[in-house]
Amino acid sequence: MSGIKPSFSKALFSGLIMEDLVFPYPKMDKEEAENIKMIVESFNKFAADKIDATQIDLDAKIPTEVIDGLKELGFFGLNTPEKYDGFGLGSGGFTKMLSAISEVDSSVSLTIGAHQSIGIKALNLFGSEEQKKKYLPKLVTGEMIGAFCLTEPGAGSDAAGIKTKAVRDEENGYYILNGSKIWITNGGIADFFTVFAKEELEINGEVKEKISAFIVTTEMEGVSKGKEESKLGIKGSSTTEIFFEDVKVPLENVIGERGKGFKIAMEVLNSGRLGLAGGTLGGFKFIIKTTMDQITQRKQFKKNIAEFEAIKKKVAQMTIDFYVAESMIYLTTALVDRGDVDYSLESAMCKVFTTDIAWTGVNECLQMAGGLGYMKEYPYERLVRDCRINMIFEGTNEILRLFIALSGVQERGEYLKKIGKALKDPIKGFGLLTDFATDWVKDKIITERIREVHPSLTSSKTQFENYSKNLRFSVERILMEHGRDIIYREMITTRLADAAIDLYAMIATISRVDTRIKEIGEEKCDKEIKICNTFCEQAWRRVRRNLLMIDKNNDDVLKEISEFITEEKEYPFMTE
Amino acid sequence: MNIAVCIKQVPDTETKIKISDDKKSIVESDINFILNPYDEFGVEEALKLTDPENITIISLGPDRVTSAIRSALAMGAKNAIHIKTDSTPADPGITADALASVLKEGNYDLIFTGKQAIDDDHAQMASLLAEKMDIPAVNVVIKLNVENGTVMAEREIEGAHEIFECATPCIISAQRGLNEPRYASLKGIMGAKKVKIEEKDVTLSESNLEVVEYNYPAEKAAGKIVGDSADAVPELLRLLNEEAKVI
Ligand SMILES: Cc1cc2nc3c(=O)[nH]c(=O)nc-3n(C[C@H](O)[C@H](O)[C@H](O)COP(=O)(O)OP(=O)(O)OC[C@H]3O[C@@H](n4cnc5c(N)ncnc54)[C@H](O)[C@@H]3O)c2cc1C
Repeated sequence: MSGIKPSFSKALFSGLIMEDLVFPYPKMDKEEAENIKMIVESFNKFAADKIDATQIDLDAKIPTEVIDGLKELGFFGLNTPEKYDGFGLGSGGFTKMLSAISEVDSSVSLTIGAHQSIGIKALNLFGSEEQKKKYLPKLVTGEMIGAFCLTEPGAGSDAAGIKTKAVRDEENGYYILNGSKIWITNGGIADFFTVFAKEELEINGEVKEKISAFIVTTEMEGVSKGKEESKLGIKGSSTTEIFFEDVKVPLENVIGERGKGFKIAMEVLNSGRLGLAGGTLGGFKFIIKTTMDQITQRKQFKKNIAEFEAIKKKVAQMTIDFYVAESMIYLTTALVDRGDVDYSLESAMCKVFTTDIAWTGVNECLQMAGGLGYMKEYPYERLVRDCRINMIFEGTNEILRLFIALSGVQERGEYLKKIGKALKDPIKGFGLLTDFATDWVKDKIITERIREVHPSLTSSKTQFENYSKNLRFSVERILMEHGRDIIYREMITTRLADAAIDLYAMIATISRVDTRIKEIGEEKCDKEIKICNTFCEQAWRRVRRNLLMIDKNNDDVLKEISEFITEEKEYPFMTE
Repeated sequence: MNIAVCIKQVPDTETKIKISDDKKSIVESDINFILNPYDEFGVEEALKLTDPENITIISLGPDRVTSAIRSALAMGAKNAIHIKTDSTPADPGITADALASVLKEGNYDLIFTGKQAIDDDHAQMASLLAEKMDIPAVNVVIKLNVENGTVMAEREIEGAHEIFECATPCIISAQRGLNEPRYASLKGIMGAKKVKIEEKDVTLSESNLEVVEYNYPAEKAAGKIVGDSADAVPELLRLLNEEAKVI
């Protein structure tokens, strides 16, 4: 089975733990870590002098001077290989950078992030040598700015339903592109667009509409931009519609293989989601610091706000959630950087988990600041507005949960089909390995148990192992009960996804703390051990509840109520 | 023109300083170290005056100071010398002896230091080096002009500006306002990695100073808000006079 890359989470849906993928917790190469530290320091100096996040929010614009300064510093070429004049940061380094930039301003971070995470990523991943040589040197200096054009008025979550059309004119050597894209980040400032459009392709004698990816630049005739959208948050970032009217796109501007555009878009988003998650943490980190200053100074009832137990609970929980999200993200960026594993589920998990906990956490920060948190004079309300988008773009959290659960279920389903009879005897069937594992397994450890962790983390480890096994049993039951219809059973798949996300969160945190204990000793890891064990305690209870509720729930009643309101189209009850 | 810039690695101003149990030193393990901000003015001025190839960054201290050297190199300089010691001497005289011996080996027309290091605030290095090397120094310089071996250095004094003229080689200590230090670009940072830092071992001279002990500053009392209208002025005056005793 060549070509199939191992996936930790897909294996997990089969109850298998690919331990070598998550232990020991990865450590950034010393030189890269030093580079990042210096780049961050330089950025922070620049930011202290030049970036005023409050003003950017008020003006709904990042000053040209800031964008130009960032270009000069080299921030548009962070993750492009050195071969094309970029700085070749890996996924870990790039994510750290976005996080650091978001600590200062989310709009600036998004502008830089959208350019590199998605705008020019397809070119970097799938572009031809000629395409790269032609465009990358200009893109890394920011002379050209990139944008990613997938969403259309009629196709958001259902991206495969795009209508933009490319008609191939072989004779004249170009495509004619028609259609429009909506809510394109960097739309107003970009000159380089990665555009997804449908073209007709003959496959096995049949003509089919398939998506391809195209390089389109503003200088091509027929490309135009809509006005800047007025948004809830990330106001300084540019968001516009982009129109294509009979645009002649040279045939050589197709990125990657013709007809493979959808796959390309998904690959780009798989890696983009990690940058997004890292950026989200940056904003969260900033507001935690602001909040801690506030609640250690503000007094009520003769005590600092931070001294009240109801507040302590909030502070502790957001610290735990932050630590866990960070553990997941930088475990996953290392999976990306090693290059030989499928990280698609993990990056989606990082995005969902991080954007959810940050939304809750930032909101709690505002709450702890009280009325002051609601005032424009302070950054809390801006942070709440800014971080709201993260649950929507690059795949809504609902869609990503479906993606996580269905990918896991599908993997298991295909495996079970193959081993046929083994299903009747799951214990015996267990020894068999799934496709994604066969290639990789040779001398690696794949078991239902983790070798060994530090004794202080034993309970967390056991919880993880037990519930990984339960996840697999649940998947098998679901498959038997619903078969292919599982794709419509979203209340169930959502629970399955949440369980899988919690399990990945647990193992990422266990690995991080375990590795740290080995490095600096148990004593110095006291708080981190407590964070890990507390989170795992919370998480396994959630996992148990989610898995139990797959069989025992009130989904039918919920559906009935929902359908009733959908029929009424408004809230229909009245108090007497 | 050959220029040496002496730099020091110092704790970030935002670092919470912890004093060691014996009170003789500060705990270094949790400190975020940076390049002394005043030294950045020196690096920037050197870059304005000459080619990066002709600039040498010099720093004395333990291994960790190489990261400050890298920061200076990231701004553009192309040469560096690390004078290796086990720790940073508490007596600036010792540092000056070691720096002077290394500086004498080079053929520098200009030597920059910052006007002071923001950690120990001795503000002595330029003068000590001048004494030990027997060349002139101008301290706390805000404007500099170098032409044909003649240096015009401007400094701010109470109510006036003073302009000195001297011949090279000489020592200049840089003050804020001398220039706007550039931000290290990614290109600079990656370029800095390629510079080989020359390492030198020295035998340090005897210390003439001894640290008796470090103590934390007294905690500041909480601020007091007397009122928010003109009515509060008399009370404010009274407090400033009687309690704070500042008027
Ligand atoms: C500020 C901003 C910047 C953006 N930047 C870009 C960009 O640079 N490039 C780009 O291509 N796009 C961009 N987008 C578009 C973004 O990716 C989409 O908005 C997003 O994918 C959701 O699509 P939609 O808005 O059409 O929502 P819809 O797909 O209409 O979804 C509406 C709601 O229904 C839910 N839903 C939909 N289908 C299902 C289902 N099967 N099961 C359960 N729930 C479902 C969704 O989760 C959501 O809650 C941006 C959007 C915004 C707001």
